[in-house]
Amino acid sequence: MTGSLLLLFCRKELRDLRTNRQVWPGYLILPILGLILPVALIVTAPLVSSAVELDPGIRLLVDTVQRDPSLTGATIAERLARLIMRDFGLWFLFMPVVLAAGPAGLSIVREKEQRTLEPILATPLGDRELVLSKLVGALGPALLWTWASAIASYAVSTLAAAVQFGAVIGPTPGNLVGIVLLGPVLAAAASLAGIGASARFIDSQSVNMFVGVVIVPLTLIVLGVAGRPAMASPVLGLAATGMGLVICAALFGPAVRKLRREELLTRWR
Amino acid sequence: MITASGLSRSFDGRVAVDGVSFEVPSGRLCALLGPNGSGKTTTVRMLLGLLPPTSGTAEVAGITLPVIRDDAKSLRARAGLLTETPGFYDRLSGAENLDFFARLYGIADAVRGPRIESWLKRLDLWDARDRAFGGYSKGMKQRLALIRAVLHEPAVIFLDEPTAGLDPAAAREVRDLIADLRREGRTILLCTHHLGEAQSLADLVGILQGKLVAFGSLDALTGSAGTVEIRLDRDPADLLPMLRSVPGVGELASSGPLLRVATGDPERVTPRVVSSLVAAGAGILEVRPVRVSLEEVYLRAVGAGGGAGA
Repeated sequence: MTGSLLLLFCRKELRDLRTNRQVWPGYLILPILGLILPVALIVTAPLVSSAVELDPGIRLLVDTVQRDPSLTGATIAERLARLIMRDFGLWFLFMPVVLAAGPAGLSIVREKEQRTLEPILATPLGDRELVLSKLVGALGPALLWTWASAIASYAVSTLAAAVQFGAVIGPTPGNLVGIVLLGPVLAAAASLAGIGASARFIDSQSVNMFVGVVIVPLTLIVLGVAGRPAMASPVLGLAATGMGLVICAALFGPAVRKLRREELLTRWR
Repeated sequence: MITASGLSRSFDGRVAVDGVSFEVPSGRLCALLGPNGSGKTTTVRMLLGLLPPTSGTAEVAGITLPVIRDDAKSLRARAGLLTETPGFYDRLSGAENLDFFARLYGIADAVRGPRIESWLKRLDLWDARDRAFGGYSKGMKQRLALIRAVLHEPAVIFLDEPTAGLDPAAAREVRDLIADLRREGRTILLCTHHLGEAQSLADLVGILQGKLVAFGSLDALTGSAGTVEIRLDRDPADLLPMLRSVPGVGELASSGPLLRVATGDPERVTPRVVSSLVAAGAGILEVRPVRVSLEEVYLRAVGAGGGAGA
């Protein structure tokens, strides 16, 4: 399996994305929210910290911020800003999962619908190569977009925090490990499950529903439970990434086995 | 170059292809005729290693079927396939689509671009190379698919219904291209149900109806299927009762010195008839097969083949 073959599928997906209006909403809305939300929260942090008496929830949040030794700062608002910067990293674990799982779920079934599957199966490409190519094809654009969004988001948020508090508040090392390593691994796991489903389903609506109702929510539950602790420190992030890789390896075999050429060619209407 | 020996394929107990055997020598074009569902596409998929046969073997471009993994890759690298529908990505341009598949076939960087350019120019698609494939006409789409089938210079080309759904002008364009490929000496298996296409292009014709119910050169099929005409030096009317006793002779008719002998097996029966006539003292001036149309051969064969296909 050559890297050029993986790049080929990645490039094909990128070219396809340029003109595929179906995927634009996800590719536009998620980065925009990723840019606006943390800045809005940082800018409004002083208001929140001054409204402690108004709402028990805010009181609880402020107490939490005051007790957390990792959140340093001259004021409660600054501590809140650090909390926002740290925890908003989860957004960039969530983004590649959502952006990659959809295209991965459509990866085989869409080839069937476009009638491009038989010409692809007629090339010397092997089953493992095909699954890996589809994985990279789904994952590549999603990761590039997520990382570009994360860089833009953290740049703008850091600038907003500097203006607001006169301090440099950037992503934590745990954030970086999460975004660079754990996010891709989680997205890969969701994508492999999506590719396996794509090889079995006979139409894109069914597989879209399966990805939206089963695969993405399951991945997000894992993310919800393990994401925050994993981003608390680089060591925990690395450990979670290792576990994610084991899950990916376990999902790869079934995804390849589900790609039965004979059934793909004969049992699809 | 293509040899099939007893190839069979069933789907859930239903026989789609039943013991098909034939041979296509290198550089020849063989047309596989048959109605929809007669097993043509299944045969091509088996020969390309995409479907394993239920029984039987084959050899395509030096690779023996059923294939093991590495041989499957080698076989697919040595064979080109034109599917019934073109099968390209609508949002990519014609050139991008070809480049994608050329890379999958492992065509080296140095030759890929020039080769794509040369084929696009040859098939009059160069000016449309940067247009999205979805905007191509049906004829343009099929021409692009034909380029994909030959771009990696395969030893064997499988063309599955290449003119299906095309208007007459576009179908003619595609047929002209196939004729060019044939002249270049490529080994081609052409699946079609257009008899005219087979008649104008093929060296060999097979008629598939689940089973291979007829196979041979066009001359052999159209000349061997029926009647022999014999010109004598006299009126043979008095010889007809004697000829009716010759084994294999069917209907007999005479008109002046011309005698028409209908038989299901002209190769065996004609010499017997000629010997009987000579023994009876008749002089033989000419013996020639009365040719029947491919359509007649096809209809007889398909009628005789029953409904094994799927």
